[in-house]
Formats: sequence, structure tokens, C-alpha cells
Amino acid sequence: MNFRDLTIALILIGIMTVVGNAIGYNTPMGDAAIGYAIMLIITLVGVGLTHIIPVKFPMVFWVSVVALLATAPISPIAKTITFYAGKVDFLALCTPILAYAGLSIGKDLEAFKKMSWKIIVVALAVYTGTFICATLIAQVMLHIEGII
Amino acid sequence: MDILKNWRIHCIALIIVMICEWIGAKKIPVGPGVLLFLPMLYAMVIGGILSVPKLKVIKSEEMNLATAVLGVTTLMLVTKLGTVIGPQVVKVAQSGLSLSLQELGHFLGTVILGLPIAIALGLGREAIGATFSIDREPNIAIISEKYGLSSPEGRGVMSIYICGTLFGAVWLGLLAGYLAALNIFHPYALAMGAGVGSGSMMAAASGAIKAVFPDKANEILMYAGASNLLTTIIGIYFSLFISLPVTEKLYTWLKPILGRKNDTKGVDA
Repeated sequence: MNFRDLTIALILIGIMTVVGNAIGYNTPMGDAAIGYAIMLIITLVGVGLTHIIPVKFPMVFWVSVVALLATAPISPIAKTITFYAGKVDFLALCTPILAYAGLSIGKDLEAFKKMSWKIIVVALAVYTGTFICATLIAQVMLHIEGII
Repeated sequence: MDILKNWRIHCIALIIVMICEWIGAKKIPVGPGVLLFLPMLYAMVIGGILSVPKLKVIKSEEMNLATAVLGVTTLMLVTKLGTVIGPQVVKVAQSGLSLSLQELGHFLGTVILGLPIAIALGLGREAIGATFSIDREPNIAIISEKYGLSSPEGRGVMSIYICGTLFGAVWLGLLAGYLAALNIFHPYALAMGAGVGSGSMMAAASGAIKAVFPDKANEILMYAGASNLLTTIIGIYFSLFISLPVTEKLYTWLKPILGRKNDTKGVDA
């Protein structure tokens, strides 16, 4: 996807997020729109860096770096960014994303119908395993480190 | 690909979002815990039903567009979590040891629980591709390069990938919400566990934990985000150099013990 399409896609998700945010979490649309716009700029800068910097790291990496630097204590604009970004509820952002995830399911349904029930059991085991094992280790380690 | 040419699908998505947020979160008690249904789960299910080819509501080019949009929008989740982590970056660093070690759970948990079950159910070498990782895009690339996608290993990884797209987020959302409500694990530990390395699955799981412990929302998103970032970035290398060889070894070792005797043909995955 080129940069223009990516920007349009993120703006579309933004409109849905801000509307959903107002309906589900009673946040004024203005504040949330500013928050989303700031996060959009951060994302686009991160995407830009991925293309400019010759060291190959995934997009997720550069976007995170920009978001972290912009809001870390050393950043002079951290407070403003954190305030407005905080107006966009994480859950409100998830709803449109999963709506698109749902709308894309149809093309996989044919392949899914041909699958054996056994592979579905294995899939559930795989997702459960990764979540529970990590949670178990985290629980023990956080306890040892005295954080919980 | 022109995103706005197929404007219909975006309108459908917007309407889905509005309806789902209007309904709001619902809790249904089941046994000792509760099943937590969040607007994002309804959104996924409603979208999924509308996309059933027989209904002819969503055209296949629109579905491809939805996939493309989905691929880039998870970046916004990364940004949002980045802005939560940033102000507390010192706090995250303080739990660095926990964060690093729990990643072993993410990387090996799929094998530990998945592989024995897959072999016991009678899967052949599909089991290797299916359980060596959480089987998202980067992992498919690894299997594709090493075995090819039409190999048993390739069929295994693709099957779990499709399952993940279909119900991974819903499953993890319900599981995480249920476990959180049971109060066995600390919300921070659950949050780290939620960083499974897939945007939509992490969103559903951490969203559910956040909804159960709203007063700890910030820390939950912080730990889930940091963990998910580690899983995504390190996971590519870990699954290639460690998980896959380990899964292969375990497979040859476990197959004669757990596998069925007359299991010469693989299960059609």
C-alpha cells in the first residue's frame, strides 16, 4: 500500500474511532479528533523513517520509537501529546480495526470449511498456550522482582 | 489500490462501529468467572457475518480492501500504546527482567501446549508448522522459505493462520476477560501475557483485561504494549532460530510416544 492510501486508510479509521469514542466513552469529538490527529502524525513519521533509514527493521519498530520519543519525559511536548492521545480510548480504536478484520473474513471461509475439527482444536491450544505460558512466567517474575 | 473507490465498505464499517459502541460492553456470568463481550468483538462478528460470500453483501474485492486496511491500521494501535508507554518508560525498564523472561512463554507456549495435542490428535508434520509459533505473517514467511507452502508444514502454518484470522481475537478476548475476572493472576501479568504478537489478538485480550480492571487501565496497556512489541520484533528471529528447530526435535521425539499407530497419512489440514 502506498503512502497516500495508507494515510487515507488511517484517516478513515480515525473518523470511525472518534465517532465510536463519542458514542461509547462520552468523550467530546473535538479533543479526540486532536488526539487522533497527533497519533496519525506520529504513525506517518514512523512509516516515513522505515523507508528512509537503511537498517531494516519492521514498521512497528520505527512507529514505536517515534511514539516513545514523543511522549518520553525528555520530550518537551510530551504532556500535550499524552493529554490528547489519552482522549482516544484504546477500546474505541480497536472497534473499527476489528470491524475491518471481520469484513475480510469471508474470503477465508471456503478454506476454513475444508478444515478438520482437529486443526481448530490445535489452533485454540496454540493461542491459549502462548497467552497462559507468558502470563504464568510474568506472574512469577513480577512477584520475584517485587512489582506485584 | 484505490481505497476510496470502494467507499461502500467504509460506510458499512462506520455503521457497524456506531451500532457496536451504542450497545456497549456486556458481561455474562459463566461458572466462577464472567464472559466479557466488548464492542470490538461484536464488530468482528457482525463484519464476519456480512462478509459470508453467500449473502453477497461484501464483494471479494472489498474484502481484499478490508484486509489491506487492516494491515496498516494496526499501526495506530502501536502508536496509541507507544504514547501510553512513553511517559512511564522508566517503569517499564524497571520490569525489564519480567518482560524479557515472559517472552519465553510467548515463544514456547505455542509448542508446549499445541504440539502434544496436535500429535495426539493424529496430525503429521502439519503439527510442526501449526505449533512452532503463533503463525502470523512473518512466521508464514519462515515456513514458506524452508519447506514451501504446499508441504505438510506449510499446510499446518496456513491452517492456523486462517483460524487466527477467523477467531483468534474473539477467543483471546473471551479467555483473557474470563481469566482476569477469576482473579488468579495479577492484571499486570495478564497484560504481559496479552502481548501475543498479533495486533488484533493483543487488542482483544488487553482490552478485556482493561475492562475488568479499569482503575489499572494505563499500566495494563503499558505492559501489554511493551510485551507485544517485544514479541513482534524478537519473535521473527526467535521463531526462526530457536522455536522451529526445537519444535522439529520435539516432534520426532513425541511422535512415537503420543502418535497413533496407524497414523501414516496426515490429517487433511
